Amino acid sequence: MANNQKLALIVDDSKTQCKILTKLLEEEHYSVIEANDGSSGVQKYISHKPDLVLMDINMPIMDGFEAARQIKKLSGTKDLAPLIFITSMDTDQAFIDSVDSGGDGILVRPFSPNVFKAKIKSIQRISNLYQQVKTLQQEQQQDAELAEKMMSEVIESRNFALDRVQVIKKAATIFSGDIQLTALCPNGAIHVLLGDFTGHGLRSSIGAIPVTETFRAMTRKGFSLFEIVAQLNKQLNHLLPADLFFAASFVCISDHEKSAYILNAGLPDGYLFNDKGQIRKRFESSHPPLGILRELLPDAKVEVVDIDLSDSVVFISDGIIEARNEQGELFGVERFENAATEGIIDNNLVSTVNERLEVFCLGVPQEDDISLVAIPCHGWIKEVINNKPVIPESLNEQDFNQQSTPTWSWHLHLTGKLLRTVNPIPMIMSQINDIEGAGEHWHNLYTILTELFINSLDHGVLGLSSSLKKSPEGFSQYFNERTSRLNKLDSGFVLISLKYFPLSEGGKMVVNIKDSGKGFNILKVMKSNTEQLATSNDLSGRGIELVNQLCDTLEYIEEGTSVTASYVWHNKS
Amino acid sequence: MTVNSSLHSVSNQLVISIDERFDFSLHQQFRDCYSQVHQKGLEYILDLSKTKYMDSSALGMILLLKDHVEMYASTLTIQNPSETVSKILEIAQFHRLMTIK
Repeated sequence: MANNQKLALIVDDSKTQCKILTKLLEEEHYSVIEANDGSSGVQKYISHKPDLVLMDINMPIMDGFEAARQIKKLSGTKDLAPLIFITSMDTDQAFIDSVDSGGDGILVRPFSPNVFKAKIKSIQRISNLYQQVKTLQQEQQQDAELAEKMMSEVIESRNFALDRVQVIKKAATIFSGDIQLTALCPNGAIHVLLGDFTGHGLRSSIGAIPVTETFRAMTRKGFSLFEIVAQLNKQLNHLLPADLFFAASFVCISDHEKSAYILNAGLPDGYLFNDKGQIRKRFESSHPPLGILRELLPDAKVEVVDIDLSDSVVFISDGIIEARNEQGELFGVERFENAATEGIIDNNLVSTVNERLEVFCLGVPQEDDISLVAIPCHGWIKEVINNKPVIPESLNEQDFNQQSTPTWSWHLHLTGKLLRTVNPIPMIMSQINDIEGAGEHWHNLYTILTELFINSLDHGVLGLSSSLKKSPEGFSQYFNERTSRLNKLDSGFVLISLKYFPLSEGGKMVVNIKDSGKGFNILKVMKSNTEQLATSNDLSGRGIELVNQLCDTLEYIEEGTSVTASYVWHNKS
Repeated sequence: MTVNSSLHSVSNQLVISIDERFDFSLHQQFRDCYSQVHQKGLEYILDLSKTKYMDSSALGMILLLKDHVEMYASTLTIQNPSETVSKILEIAQFHRLMTIK
């Protein structure tokens, strides 16, 4: 077929030689063009783009070696038009020069027609293989571009607070195995993940979508960081082949508790920096990367640290510290820490670290993905308070009539050991969503439920005193004590009841939580809470103050062992 | 060869040693060292004393070896990792998954 016919270019100053070669090539189904010196050979190569070039060495105007060099320079790595020298110079030097100038083969006269044809066939076979590789490579490139587009547009553009979380992300291959996710918890804390899948390219991306979905959905439903990590591990273990895994650091920053919950599974140290750029704490990897083990190790736990609101949490992947310069030296932890410190002082962490890396590597190609996230420790809770719906000034008559009987109610009585393991809040939220549908006003209800439930469990059932939080070690000490009491718990109860009243333009949820604790002196605690909030940055009482702001009414009865909160909202018009 | 392996039938040991760089390019060679070994109760030793660089796909390859070792009721020990390699193994907390000495 004419379309598939290959084109050969013969460059030879001898017309007779041209004729002989043309005849042989035509027998092999080539169409042939000729040039009689090196320079016009190069011109014809440009205008005809042949599939094969046969080149004499000694020619007027431009010799074969120079012509070959120019042709190979033009074709670059894009196409391989094989070039064979045809010569009677049977010397080692001719052979060496022909290879040096870019020739793919040499054929020394005299040769038989069959030897010539065999040579053409073999060189064409190599050229075909090269074409195949080229095509495959292009397809792979397209896949990688698609994956990158999906990653940046679908996954990371849906991150929360992109303007406040600072990010560095430089992929080694076009598609990066690193992912960075942020999501807002219903109680106003923020969850952030920096993760690194094994390897690079498309292969390393198969886990990205399920990780993203799970991380976002569980955060939205109010699961704790640890529950999310455990679930991601289980999911990835199931999904990924044995040699693929996911090294990741997780943090939950709660500015109203002034604490951060952190777990590092297989990444380099994470950091807590103060606003002077000093390292307040390093978070070492404490668990193998996710996806290797079926379940997390029994001693896996999140670390709790006290934060100042001016602090920031910084995570990096190994690409930063393993970046190399021309001498093969690593950028290393120390250079990174120095750059980070200076960057924080100058208030531009990202550009300082980037600049230092670039100066250090000076154009050495990047071997691994480089990524960093820096999360400020303040300002997250505002997101929730600002979302507070308008409480109706007055209820209309119809509302009063409907208020006497709830349209539905729901109870959960959790006892003893179950209190250790069951987190009832996501369960309750899912019930509410099932019955009433999703809605933004549930975010505040989530906060109310969480705070009240934790209060009943901690101060009621576990009998923890909130004065513990005032010690220098503050919240982390409290958290450790809580864990140890919880592990020993085998009696006690928490009873949660919900009643739902629809209103003409919204609704009302009445939450009651009772616990088996000893109760407390309601008046005294409330009074001291108010005083503390006015005078200091104390942590205790902050949760209940938040609930108070979100609720229509909040009332403790039965010596503080029973609390009733009523939450009213208006549908947004 | 950048991956070497030898089976000592007297001591029941299979020693796999890796040269300077342990990365994805060794994938096939590394697998070939053990995939045809079906003997039970062997002691697999992964000698990393000469290895100066290891990437995360090498960690993945070690996990594949570990699966193989467990399937044939054998044991796996990583031996003599250099300081840089130790650091990588430590970050990945591999001492929680296998013996390193």
